[in-house]
Amino acid sequence: MAPTLLEEVPPPRLTPVGGVKEALQRRSARPGGRAYTVVRWSGAVLFAAIVVALVVSLLASSSQAFAHSGLSFFWSGTYNAAKDIYPTGVFILGTLITTAVAIILAVPIGVGTAAFLSEFAPRWLATPLSVAIDLIAAVPSIVVGLWGLLVLQPIFTRHVEPFMKKIPVLEWFFHGPALGPSMFLAGTVLAVMILPTIVALSRTSMSAVAVEDREAARALGATRWQVVTTAVVPGARTGIEAAVTLGIGRAMGETIAVAMVIGNNYALPHSLLSPGATLGSAIINNFGEASPGLDRASVIGLVVVLLVLSALVNVGGQLLMRARSRVVGATT
Amino acid sequence: MSSTVYAIDPDAAGAIGARRDLVRESARRSLVRRRLLGRAAIVLCVVAVAVSLAPLVALVTYTTSRGIHALSWTFLTHIPTPPGIPGGGVSNAIVGTVIIVGVAVAMAVPVGIMAALFLVERTGRIASALRFAADVLTGVPSIAVGAFAVAVFVDPFDHYSGLVGSFALATLMLPIVIRANEAAMRSVPRDLWEAGLALGVRRSRVVRSVVLRGALPGLVTGNLLAVSRAVGETAPLLFTIFGSGFLVANPTQPMQALPLTIFTDGTSAQPSSQLIAWGSAFVLLVLVLVLSVVARVVSARLNRQAR
Repeated sequence: MAPTLLEEVPPPRLTPVGGVKEALQRRSARPGGRAYTVVRWSGAVLFAAIVVALVVSLLASSSQAFAHSGLSFFWSGTYNAAKDIYPTGVFILGTLITTAVAIILAVPIGVGTAAFLSEFAPRWLATPLSVAIDLIAAVPSIVVGLWGLLVLQPIFTRHVEPFMKKIPVLEWFFHGPALGPSMFLAGTVLAVMILPTIVALSRTSMSAVAVEDREAARALGATRWQVVTTAVVPGARTGIEAAVTLGIGRAMGETIAVAMVIGNNYALPHSLLSPGATLGSAIINNFGEASPGLDRASVIGLVVVLLVLSALVNVGGQLLMRARSRVVGATT
Repeated sequence: MSSTVYAIDPDAAGAIGARRDLVRESARRSLVRRRLLGRAAIVLCVVAVAVSLAPLVALVTYTTSRGIHALSWTFLTHIPTPPGIPGGGVSNAIVGTVIIVGVAVAMAVPVGIMAALFLVERTGRIASALRFAADVLTGVPSIAVGAFAVAVFVDPFDHYSGLVGSFALATLMLPIVIRANEAAMRSVPRDLWEAGLALGVRRSRVVRSVVLRGALPGLVTGNLLAVSRAVGETAPLLFTIFGSGFLVANPTQPMQALPLTIFTDGTSAQPSSQLIAWGSAFVLLVLVLVLSVVARVVSARLNRQAR
């Protein structure tokens, strides 16, 4: 479609003023700046390379174990020089049990604390307590483990565990002698470890719920507690779920603190009082001694199993949240 | 809506009055019930606060009281004595922790800022895949990162070193740092980017003097919090730095770190070793708390300056 009817008009000549011409001629005047593009991309590539390397190297160094035992690695375990076999199934069970104990203890207490700090506590009390709990969330797990081993364990053996055996229904989970290290103690230590995180995250998301939502619930005749159940908790649900997911992930992946208090018993646990083992504690206890070859590959196989478990929780949690936010987006 | 006029005969009026009383009474009862329920729930919340504060406060105060007991000038400046001989300190672990974490920061923070810039500037499949990877990696157990570092750097060369520990910690910090930096950069209003670009300023220059400067409080806080998490990590170090009883400042050699000292001395049956573990735990606690407090204070101050 050449302009046949119109005369050819020469384009107006623009003469750049002053320094602009030079500026345009400089190479660095390109839209992005070449160096900057390189900087951004190298950051992305380095990170991607590390992620890929992590997955590949763990799979590669455990491949011997999986080749040796096949899929049965996931339940009946595989070769271990000292103990003949790693009972992977027992470790998975131990991980699930200790995590469940931790979540059952920490979530109601943590969310209740968060609700109090966000909704009921006067400001002079809520602010310092919240700051203190935010700070305690940074306490390293090794310190919690040390405290669990040297302080909590004697108290549990002498007082708490005999007491639990007397409570109806619960006693069913607590038969057998209280030896000291136990799955229950490990779960409790994990609960103490994840509690501040759960409180901090839930409190933040509860405080972020709009004042108007609370006022609306109040105007409809809700009591202060009903405001919490009808407006605050539903509004903060995503944040609370994120906190719980994070707590599950941390409880499952914890190694040192658990290894210090669980007793490292590879037999199938029959009670919360019996010493047990988790994936994390088994890895810590065997990694150093495992000789290169099938032995080392088996321990790294346990790392892979742990990685898969925690990735399942993580990805599951994220998909759940995305699905929820899509539903919410569709309805509003 | 028709405007019918109802004549109310006295009997019906009495029924309506009775009904009104019934409604009032049941509303009152419901309110009493709901108030009681609320009171009970709030009491339960207070109990929850007490139950959650008790172990947390006990943990911190006990560590502090035992730790201060162990603390002395010798404890901070001397290396450990052989087992059974009293005295000695953990200077090797303190120096090791500082060097290992310092090197890890030098590795993770620049890459973290670069990758965050990538995520901020780019939309699309690559960026969302990286973001997803960062989110998943944040939840990865730290022992997995330790095993990765061992598989890549220790096993092939059969050599343990502080540097490998730094690499493991850097890998652990990286996803946290990336996401925190991205969030901080996104908090800089888009208008400021555009204003800078509209002035004809180079993109890299806009990033340097508008975005990075505006995001500074968030960047400082995010990175410091990631550091405070890395300082206390044990699992990535246990099989990478090997441990050392001597004062080692060369990160290419096996080193000691505070979490390692706590683990080995804390699990020993000797009361003297346990005391060293408490002392180290206290030093670590102070280090972590100082980092978190500094992170908060710095960000608050920078925020105030920015306004």
